[in-house]
Amino acid sequence: MDDIRSSPDRELVDAVLAARPGAFERLVREYQGLCWHIVQRMVRNPEDARELCQDTFLRVHRCLHQYRYDSALKSWIGRIAYTTALRHLQRKRIPLVESAGSDDDYALLDNIGSGFDLEAACADQQTAQHLHAAIESLPPVQRALLTLYYLEETSIPEIARITGLASGTIKSHLFRARLRLRGTLEARLGVAA
Amino acid sequence: MNHQIDDHIPAFDDPAHEREWLAQERAMRRERLQLDPVGDDAREQRYRLLARALREPLADNLPADFAEQLAARVAAAPARVVDTGFERVLTLALGIALLLGAIMVSLLYGSTWLAAILTILPAPQPPAGRWLLAFAACIGGSWLLGAWHQHGYGRRSG
Repeated sequence: MDDIRSSPDRELVDAVLAARPGAFERLVREYQGLCWHIVQRMVRNPEDARELCQDTFLRVHRCLHQYRYDSALKSWIGRIAYTTALRHLQRKRIPLVESAGSDDDYALLDNIGSGFDLEAACADQQTAQHLHAAIESLPPVQRALLTLYYLEETSIPEIARITGLASGTIKSHLFRARLRLRGTLEARLGVAA
Repeated sequence: MNHQIDDHIPAFDDPAHEREWLAQERAMRRERLQLDPVGDDAREQRYRLLARALREPLADNLPADFAEQLAARVAAAPARVVDTGFERVLTLALGIALLLGAIMVSLLYGSTWLAAILTILPAPQPPAGRWLLAFAACIGGSWLLGAWHQHGYGRRSG
Protein backbone atom coordinates (compact mmCIF):
# COMPACT_ATOMS: atom_id res chain seq x y z
CA MET A 1 0.00 0.00 0.00
CA ASP A 2 2.90 2.30 0.74
CA ASP A 3 4.15 2.08 -2.82
CA ILE A 4 0.73 3.15 -4.10
CA ARG A 5 0.68 6.06 -1.66
CA SER A 6 4.04 7.34 -2.88
CA SER A 7 3.50 6.50 -6.56
CA PRO A 8 2.83 8.85 -9.49
CA ASP A 9 -0.86 8.00 -8.89
CA ARG A 10 -0.66 10.02 -5.70
CA GLU A 11 0.90 13.03 -7.42
CA LEU A 12 -1.70 12.94 -10.18
CA VAL A 13 -4.62 12.60 -7.76
CA ASP A 14 -3.29 15.42 -5.56
CA ALA A 15 -2.85 17.63 -8.62
CA VAL A 16 -6.42 16.99 -9.80
CA LEU A 17 -7.86 17.57 -6.32
CA ALA A 18 -5.90 20.81 -6.08
CA ALA A 19 -7.39 21.76 -9.50
CA ARG A 20 -3.92 22.35 -10.99
CA PRO A 21 -4.11 23.39 -14.67
CA GLY A 22 -3.83 20.43 -17.04
CA ALA A 23 -3.97 17.81 -14.27
CA PHE A 24 -7.40 16.40 -15.07
CA GLU A 25 -6.61 16.37 -18.80
CA ARG A 26 -3.46 14.38 -18.00
CA LEU A 27 -5.47 11.90 -15.94
CA VAL A 28 -8.00 11.43 -18.75
CA ARG A 29 -5.26 11.02 -21.35
CA GLU A 30 -3.53 8.44 -19.15
CA TYR A 31 -6.60 6.24 -18.66
CA GLN A 32 -8.87 6.90 -21.65
CA GLY A 33 -7.46 3.87 -23.49
CA LEU A 34 -8.33 1.55 -20.62
CA CYS A 35 -11.78 3.08 -20.30
CA TRP A 36 -12.44 2.79 -24.03
CA HIS A 37 -11.30 -0.82 -24.17
CA ILE A 38 -13.59 -1.84 -21.31
CA VAL A 39 -16.64 0.15 -22.36
CA GLN A 40 -16.49 -0.32 -26.12
CA ARG A 41 -15.89 -4.08 -25.84
CA MET A 42 -18.88 -4.34 -23.52
CA VAL A 43 -21.44 -2.13 -25.25
CA ARG A 44 -20.15 -2.45 -28.87
CA ASN A 45 -21.78 0.79 -29.95
CA PRO A 46 -19.17 3.53 -30.55
CA GLU A 47 -21.58 6.41 -29.86
CA ASP A 48 -22.86 4.90 -26.62
CA ALA A 49 -19.30 3.97 -25.65
CA ARG A 50 -18.08 7.57 -26.12
CA GLU A 51 -20.89 8.89 -23.95
CA LEU A 52 -20.25 6.27 -21.28
CA CYS A 53 -16.51 7.09 -21.29
CA GLN A 54 -17.44 10.71 -20.75
CA ASP A 55 -19.77 9.72 -17.89
CA THR A 56 -16.98 7.60 -16.42
CA PHE A 57 -14.48 10.46 -16.28
CA LEU A 58 -17.05 12.94 -14.99
CA ARG A 59 -17.75 10.47 -12.19
CA VAL A 60 -14.01 10.05 -11.61
CA HIS A 61 -13.73 13.84 -11.26
CA ARG A 62 -16.70 13.98 -8.90
CA CYS A 63 -15.59 11.09 -6.67
CA LEU A 64 -11.79 11.36 -6.76
CA HIS A 65 -11.74 12.67 -3.17
CA GLN A 66 -13.13 9.27 -2.15
CA TYR A 67 -10.16 7.37 -3.67
CA ARG A 68 -8.28 5.84 -0.71
CA TYR A 69 -5.19 4.39 -2.48
CA ASP A 70 -6.08 0.84 -1.46
CA SER A 71 -5.81 -0.21 -5.12
CA ALA A 72 -3.97 1.23 -8.12
CA LEU A 73 -5.64 4.27 -9.72
CA LYS A 74 -5.90 2.19 -12.91
CA SER A 75 -8.06 -0.37 -11.09
CA TRP A 76 -10.19 2.31 -9.45
CA ILE A 77 -10.90 4.06 -12.76
CA GLY A 78 -11.33 0.72 -14.54
CA ARG A 79 -13.94 -0.26 -11.97
CA ILE A 80 -15.90 2.93 -12.58
CA ALA A 81 -15.76 2.31 -16.35
CA TYR A 82 -16.83 -1.31 -15.88
CA THR A 83 -19.78 -0.49 -13.60
CA THR A 84 -20.86 2.36 -15.88
CA ALA A 85 -20.96 -0.01 -18.87
CA LEU A 86 -22.60 -2.72 -16.78
CA ARG A 87 -25.44 -0.40 -15.69
CA HIS A 88 -25.96 0.68 -19.30
CA LEU A 89 -26.33 -2.95 -20.39
CA GLN A 90 -28.63 -3.73 -17.46
CA ARG A 91 -30.85 -0.75 -18.37
CA LYS A 92 -31.06 -2.14 -21.92
CA ARG A 93 -31.76 -5.61 -20.49
CA ILE A 94 -28.82 -7.12 -22.36
CA PRO A 95 -27.65 -10.42 -20.76
CA LEU A 96 -24.21 -9.94 -19.21
CA VAL A 97 -23.12 -13.58 -19.07
CA GLU A 98 -24.30 -16.73 -20.78
CA SER A 99 -27.35 -18.25 -19.12
CA ALA A 100 -25.86 -21.75 -18.83
CA GLY A 101 -22.54 -23.39 -19.64
CA SER A 102 -22.55 -25.48 -22.78
CA ASP A 103 -21.15 -29.01 -22.46
CA ASP A 104 -20.34 -28.94 -26.18
CA ASP A 105 -17.38 -26.67 -25.49
CA TYR A 106 -15.84 -29.23 -23.12
CA ALA A 107 -15.97 -31.91 -25.81
CA LEU A 108 -13.08 -30.00 -27.40
CA LEU A 109 -10.74 -30.72 -24.52
CA ASP A 110 -9.45 -33.96 -26.00
CA ASN A 111 -10.14 -33.01 -29.57
CA ILE A 112 -7.45 -31.22 -31.51
CA GLY A 113 -6.85 -31.14 -35.24
CA SER A 114 -3.39 -31.39 -36.76
CA GLY A 115 -1.50 -29.67 -39.56
CA PHE A 116 -1.98 -26.12 -38.34
CA ASP A 117 0.20 -23.35 -39.76
CA LEU A 118 -0.03 -20.30 -37.47
CA GLU A 119 1.42 -17.79 -39.91
CA ALA A 120 -0.78 -19.00 -42.78
CA ALA A 121 -3.86 -18.88 -40.53
CA CYS A 122 -2.95 -15.32 -39.47
CA ALA A 123 -2.64 -14.25 -43.08
CA ASP A 124 -6.04 -15.72 -43.95
CA GLN A 125 -8.51 -12.83 -43.91
CA GLN A 126 -11.57 -15.05 -43.71
CA THR A 127 -10.25 -16.90 -40.67
CA ALA A 128 -9.48 -13.55 -39.00
CA GLN A 129 -13.00 -12.26 -39.75
CA HIS A 130 -14.51 -15.48 -38.48
CA LEU A 131 -12.53 -15.19 -35.27
CA HIS A 132 -13.45 -11.55 -34.69
CA ALA A 133 -17.11 -12.36 -35.26
CA ALA A 134 -16.80 -15.14 -32.67
CA ILE A 135 -15.21 -12.72 -30.17
CA GLU A 136 -18.05 -10.25 -30.74
CA SER A 137 -20.63 -12.98 -30.13
CA LEU A 138 -19.30 -13.70 -26.63
CA PRO A 139 -21.30 -12.29 -23.67
CA PRO A 140 -20.28 -8.73 -22.60
CA VAL A 141 -18.54 -9.78 -19.37
CA GLN A 142 -16.39 -12.38 -21.14
CA ARG A 143 -15.48 -9.84 -23.85
CA ALA A 144 -14.43 -7.35 -21.17
CA LEU A 145 -12.37 -9.97 -19.32
CA LEU A 146 -10.56 -11.08 -22.48
CA THR A 147 -9.85 -7.47 -23.43
CA LEU A 148 -8.42 -6.66 -20.02
CA TYR A 149 -6.34 -9.84 -20.02
CA TYR A 150 -4.96 -9.63 -23.55
CA LEU A 151 -5.12 -6.03 -24.73
CA GLU A 152 -4.44 -4.29 -21.41
CA GLU A 153 -2.24 -7.14 -20.12
CA THR A 154 -3.95 -6.87 -16.73
CA SER A 155 -3.35 -9.69 -14.23
CA ILE A 156 -6.27 -11.76 -12.89
CA PRO A 157 -6.08 -10.25 -9.35
CA GLU A 158 -6.14 -6.78 -10.91
CA ILE A 159 -9.11 -7.74 -13.11
CA ALA A 160 -10.79 -8.93 -9.91
CA ARG A 161 -10.35 -5.44 -8.45
CA ILE A 162 -11.83 -3.85 -11.59
CA THR A 163 -14.81 -6.17 -11.98
CA GLY A 164 -15.46 -7.18 -8.39
CA LEU A 165 -15.55 -10.83 -9.52
CA ALA A 166 -13.64 -13.53 -7.66
CA SER A 167 -10.34 -14.66 -9.24
CA GLY A 168 -11.71 -18.20 -9.66
CA THR A 169 -14.77 -16.88 -11.50
CA ILE A 170 -12.57 -14.82 -13.81
CA LYS A 171 -10.39 -17.85 -14.51
CA SER A 172 -13.48 -19.88 -15.33
CA HIS A 173 -14.83 -17.19 -17.70
CA LEU A 174 -11.48 -16.84 -19.47
CA PHE A 175 -11.14 -20.60 -19.80
CA ARG A 176 -14.62 -21.11 -21.26
CA ALA A 177 -14.36 -18.11 -23.59
CA ARG A 178 -11.03 -19.29 -25.02
CA LEU A 179 -12.25 -22.84 -25.35
CA ARG A 180 -15.32 -21.63 -27.21
CA LEU A 181 -13.17 -19.50 -29.52
CA ARG A 182 -10.95 -22.50 -30.20
CA GLY A 183 -14.11 -24.43 -31.05
CA THR A 184 -15.04 -21.76 -33.58
CA LEU A 185 -11.55 -21.96 -35.00
CA GLU A 186 -11.69 -25.77 -35.24
CA ALA A 187 -15.00 -25.51 -37.09
CA ARG A 188 -13.51 -22.95 -39.47
CA LEU A 189 -10.40 -25.08 -40.06
CA GLY A 190 -12.66 -28.08 -40.70
CA VAL A 191 -14.53 -26.09 -43.35
CA ALA A 192 -11.35 -24.74 -44.90
CA ALA A 193 -9.67 -28.17 -45.03
CA MET B 1 -16.07 0.77 -4.19
CA ASN B 2 -13.10 -1.11 -2.84
CA HIS B 3 -13.54 -4.80 -2.21
CA GLN B 4 -11.57 -7.38 -0.37
CA ILE B 5 -10.06 -9.36 -3.21
CA ASP B 6 -8.61 -12.84 -2.88
CA ASP B 7 -5.50 -12.90 -5.10
CA HIS B 8 -5.30 -16.70 -5.02
CA ILE B 9 -6.31 -18.30 -8.31
CA PRO B 10 -7.64 -21.80 -7.59
CA ALA B 11 -6.84 -24.74 -9.87
CA PHE B 12 -9.69 -26.52 -11.68
CA ASP B 13 -10.91 -29.71 -10.04
CA ASP B 14 -10.81 -31.50 -13.38
CA PRO B 15 -7.17 -32.20 -14.46
CA ALA B 16 -8.16 -32.02 -18.15
CA HIS B 17 -9.52 -28.49 -17.62
CA GLU B 18 -6.37 -27.46 -15.78
CA ARG B 19 -4.17 -28.87 -18.59
CA GLU B 20 -6.15 -26.93 -21.18
CA TRP B 21 -5.96 -23.78 -19.04
CA LEU B 22 -2.19 -24.12 -18.76
CA ALA B 23 -1.93 -24.50 -22.55
CA GLN B 24 -4.03 -21.34 -22.96
CA GLU B 25 -1.79 -19.47 -20.54
CA ARG B 26 1.46 -20.70 -22.09
CA ALA B 27 0.28 -19.67 -25.55
CA MET B 28 -0.72 -16.23 -24.29
CA ARG B 29 2.67 -15.67 -22.64
CA ARG B 30 4.60 -16.90 -25.67
CA GLU B 31 2.59 -14.68 -27.98
CA ARG B 32 3.07 -11.70 -25.67
CA LEU B 33 6.84 -12.29 -25.78
CA GLN B 34 6.63 -12.89 -29.56
CA LEU B 35 8.51 -16.18 -29.25
CA ASP B 36 9.00 -18.38 -32.29
CA PRO B 37 5.91 -20.63 -32.67
CA VAL B 38 7.90 -23.41 -34.35
CA GLY B 39 8.23 -25.43 -31.12
CA ASP B 40 4.58 -24.99 -30.10
CA ASP B 41 2.16 -27.88 -30.41
CA ALA B 42 -1.06 -27.68 -32.47
CA ARG B 43 -3.16 -26.69 -29.44
CA GLU B 44 -0.85 -23.85 -28.43
CA GLN B 45 -0.62 -22.59 -32.00
CA ARG B 46 -4.40 -22.29 -32.11
CA TYR B 47 -4.42 -20.37 -28.83
CA ARG B 48 -1.64 -18.14 -30.16
CA LEU B 49 -3.86 -17.28 -33.13
CA LEU B 50 -6.62 -16.34 -30.66
CA ALA B 51 -4.12 -14.25 -28.71
CA ARG B 52 -3.16 -12.31 -31.84
CA ALA B 53 -6.81 -11.56 -32.60
CA LEU B 54 -7.50 -10.51 -29.01
CA ARG B 55 -4.46 -8.24 -28.86
CA GLU B 56 -5.44 -6.30 -31.97
CA PRO B 57 -6.41 -2.68 -31.22
CA LEU B 58 -10.12 -1.88 -31.51
CA ALA B 59 -11.30 -0.43 -34.81
CA ASP B 60 -12.97 2.68 -33.33
CA ASN B 61 -11.47 5.01 -30.81
CA LEU B 62 -12.20 8.10 -28.75
CA PRO B 63 -11.72 11.46 -30.51
CA ALA B 64 -8.14 12.77 -30.39
CA ASP B 65 -9.24 15.80 -28.35
CA PHE B 66 -11.40 13.79 -25.91
CA ALA B 67 -9.27 14.59 -22.86
CA GLU B 68 -8.95 18.26 -23.79
CA GLN B 69 -12.71 18.66 -24.31
CA LEU B 70 -13.59 16.88 -21.10
CA ALA B 71 -11.12 18.96 -19.08
CA ALA B 72 -12.58 22.15 -20.58
CA ARG B 73 -16.10 20.97 -19.70
CA VAL B 74 -15.10 20.25 -16.12
CA ALA B 75 -13.27 23.58 -15.81
CA ALA B 76 -16.31 25.47 -17.15
CA ALA B 77 -18.66 23.77 -14.68
CA PRO B 78 -19.48 25.55 -11.42
CA ALA B 79 -17.07 24.93 -8.56
CA ARG B 80 -17.22 21.36 -7.38
CA VAL B 81 -19.49 20.78 -4.48
CA VAL B 82 -18.23 17.76 -2.65
CA ASP B 83 -21.04 15.27 -2.24
CA THR B 84 -20.92 14.96 1.54
CA GLY B 85 -24.39 16.35 2.18
CA PHE B 86 -25.64 13.22 3.86
CA GLU B 87 -22.56 13.00 6.10
CA ARG B 88 -22.91 16.66 7.11
CA VAL B 89 -26.62 16.30 7.91
CA LEU B 90 -25.91 13.16 9.93
CA THR B 91 -23.05 14.82 11.82
CA LEU B 92 -25.25 17.85 12.54
CA ALA B 93 -28.14 15.65 13.73
CA LEU B 94 -25.82 13.67 16.00
CA GLY B 95 -24.28 16.89 17.32
CA ILE B 96 -27.71 18.32 18.14
CA ALA B 97 -28.80 15.05 19.79
CA LEU B 98 -25.61 15.06 21.86
CA LEU B 99 -26.10 18.68 22.86
CA LEU B 100 -29.75 18.12 23.85
CA GLY B 101 -28.75 15.04 25.83
CA ALA B 102 -26.01 16.99 27.60
CA ILE B 103 -28.45 19.80 28.45
CA MET B 104 -31.06 17.36 29.79
CA VAL B 105 -28.53 15.47 31.88
CA SER B 106 -27.12 18.76 33.17
CA LEU B 107 -30.61 19.95 34.13
CA LEU B 108 -31.39 16.68 35.89
CA TYR B 109 -28.12 16.09 37.68
CA GLY B 110 -26.28 19.42 37.35
CA SER B 111 -27.07 20.66 40.83
CA THR B 112 -25.78 17.43 42.39
CA TRP B 113 -22.56 17.56 40.30
CA LEU B 114 -22.02 21.24 41.05
CA ALA B 115 -22.40 20.62 44.74
CA ALA B 116 -19.99 17.69 44.54
CA ILE B 117 -17.45 19.75 42.56
CA LEU B 118 -17.71 22.70 44.88
CA THR B 119 -17.02 20.51 47.88
CA ILE B 120 -13.70 19.32 46.46
CA LEU B 121 -12.62 22.79 45.25
CA PRO B 122 -11.05 25.30 47.60
CA ALA B 123 -13.94 27.56 48.61
CA PRO B 124 -13.66 30.89 46.78
CA GLN B 125 -15.99 33.81 47.27
CA PRO B 126 -19.40 33.06 45.61
CA PRO B 127 -19.06 35.75 42.85
CA ALA B 128 -15.55 34.46 42.00
CA GLY B 129 -16.93 30.90 41.54
CA ARG B 130 -19.54 32.14 39.09
CA TRP B 131 -16.93 34.10 37.12
CA LEU B 132 -14.67 31.07 36.98
CA LEU B 133 -17.51 28.96 35.61
CA ALA B 134 -18.38 31.64 33.03
CA PHE B 135 -14.72 31.82 31.98
CA ALA B 136 -14.51 28.03 31.57
CA ALA B 137 -17.74 28.06 29.55
CA CYS B 138 -16.31 30.77 27.24
CA ILE B 139 -13.09 28.82 26.66
CA GLY B 140 -15.02 25.61 25.99
CA GLY B 141 -17.48 27.35 23.66
CA SER B 142 -14.66 29.00 21.64
CA TRP B 143 -12.82 25.71 21.32
CA LEU B 144 -15.96 23.91 20.15
CA LEU B 145 -16.76 26.62 17.58
CA GLY B 146 -13.16 26.57 16.30
CA ALA B 147 -13.17 22.79 15.96
CA TRP B 148 -16.52 22.89 14.18
CA HIS B 149 -15.36 25.59 11.75
CA GLN B 150 -12.11 23.76 11.01
CA HIS B 151 -14.02 20.50 10.41
CA GLY B 152 -16.39 22.22 7.98
CA TYR B 153 -13.55 23.95 6.10
CA GLY B 154 -11.57 20.71 5.83
CA ARG B 155 -14.60 18.96 4.32
CA ARG B 156 -15.21 21.71 1.76
CA SER B 157 -11.59 21.89 0.59
CA GLY B 158 -10.99 18.08 0.73
